[in-house]
Amino acid sequence: MPDPIKSFLFAAATCLICTLFLTAASTGLKGIQQKNIAIDRQKNILKSVGLLDEAVQYTHTGINRQYADNIKCIRVDETGAILTKDQRATKGLPVYLYMKDRQIEAYILPVDSRGLWGRILGYLALKNDGATIAGFTVYKHSETPGLGGEIERQWFRKNFNGKKIVDSDGNFLSVAIAKGNVMDTVDKDRQVHYVDGISGATLTGKYLSSGLKDILAVYEPVSLKFRSRQLLRLSGKEKICPAKEEK
Amino acid sequence: MKITQTRQFKIFSDPFLKNNPIFMQMLGICSALAVTVQLKTAFVMGLSLTFVLAFSNLTISLLRNVIPRNIRMIVELSIIATLVIIADEMLRAFLYDISKQLSVFVGLIITNCIVMGRAETFALGNPPGLSFLDGLGNGIGYGTVLVAVAFIRELLGSGNLFGYSVIPQSFYVAGYEDMGFMLLAPAAFIIIGLLVWLQKSIVKD
Repeated sequence: MPDPIKSFLFAAATCLICTLFLTAASTGLKGIQQKNIAIDRQKNILKSVGLLDEAVQYTHTGINRQYADNIKCIRVDETGAILTKDQRATKGLPVYLYMKDRQIEAYILPVDSRGLWGRILGYLALKNDGATIAGFTVYKHSETPGLGGEIERQWFRKNFNGKKIVDSDGNFLSVAIAKGNVMDTVDKDRQVHYVDGISGATLTGKYLSSGLKDILAVYEPVSLKFRSRQLLRLSGKEKICPAKEEK
Repeated sequence: MKITQTRQFKIFSDPFLKNNPIFMQMLGICSALAVTVQLKTAFVMGLSLTFVLAFSNLTISLLRNVIPRNIRMIVELSIIATLVIIADEMLRAFLYDISKQLSVFVGLIITNCIVMGRAETFALGNPPGLSFLDGLGNGIGYGTVLVAVAFIRELLGSGNLFGYSVIPQSFYVAGYEDMGFMLLAPAAFIIIGLLVWLQKSIVKD
């Protein structure tokens, strides 16, 4: 058999066998992996409102219980109205609520932003005044470790706590990532709308800023309801997100 | 003949100290810098690389007489890549948090020079049993250095070992501070440099 044909056949056989192994590994482990991802998301939702100690390892059941005890997921339409149980067709946007003594303590928005190398997924929690950020987490991104990848680190995320998304007159402004240190680069009266940037990751910051702005703008009707104190507790008629999506 | 004098044992144990891939050949430095901030990640990384290296050596050695010479590197690479992805999937299923911390570095085992280097220089010319031992030895040699570097970095940088704090609170009260520099990549460079010095002074030809 001439050499090129032998090489070709050998390459084809190698590919086939490798593919079989990869398919087996990927399909065989998918169930466990998806469960891990679901838990990780719940963990991030809890983390965004400061319910988990970042240094502590939690068990899956521990996370599940904390989540069930504290978090409710509802859906709203574009005008900020909460979808009720009797409404069917409309899908609506998910909002996670942190309930404390039957009151809404904070609401959590899913973040889906563009990054430099891929999507950035996470959660942004706002206090029930509709203006103050309670926390920010990232559970998935493809940024460079050590540069843009720092967005998932605690030192970066904790800067969001207490920042305002509205100015003193109540106009929507969003929150943005500064280019460098907020203290040095942003005017004193606007510092409350900025968080420290990451050196070497200007573009990640830029994309994340605009991503956060888009998301906050979409959810602005909901935030308005909180700001005007119309939404403080649930009536019980709300449609709760299906358990499958909540994961 | 004593077991320590057999060829098998020599192949297995040489890469620990005498011919360590990181110390002697300066291979795999990139990941040694990236994943050694914590012992946990370093340990898992060492384990993953040992798994990949042992089985890639074994497979390539089994196929060494049938791989066509002109496409041998591509074939080696596909085998290595397959093993790395399997290792990555396993981590995602069973050690999800660590796999998130290791992020791209597990995938980058594919480009770790040690794996390709052992395949080319050893597995292609030696029988499967010896190749497997060679892979195991080199993997453990690499892992040991990683763990040693991580031990120093985690202890001095954050006062922890495997995530548990080991420096007593009274030290901090007395004015002891964690060395923040140890958490940055350049610290690993310096530690590896010092370890190379240590290794060279122990092993004299």
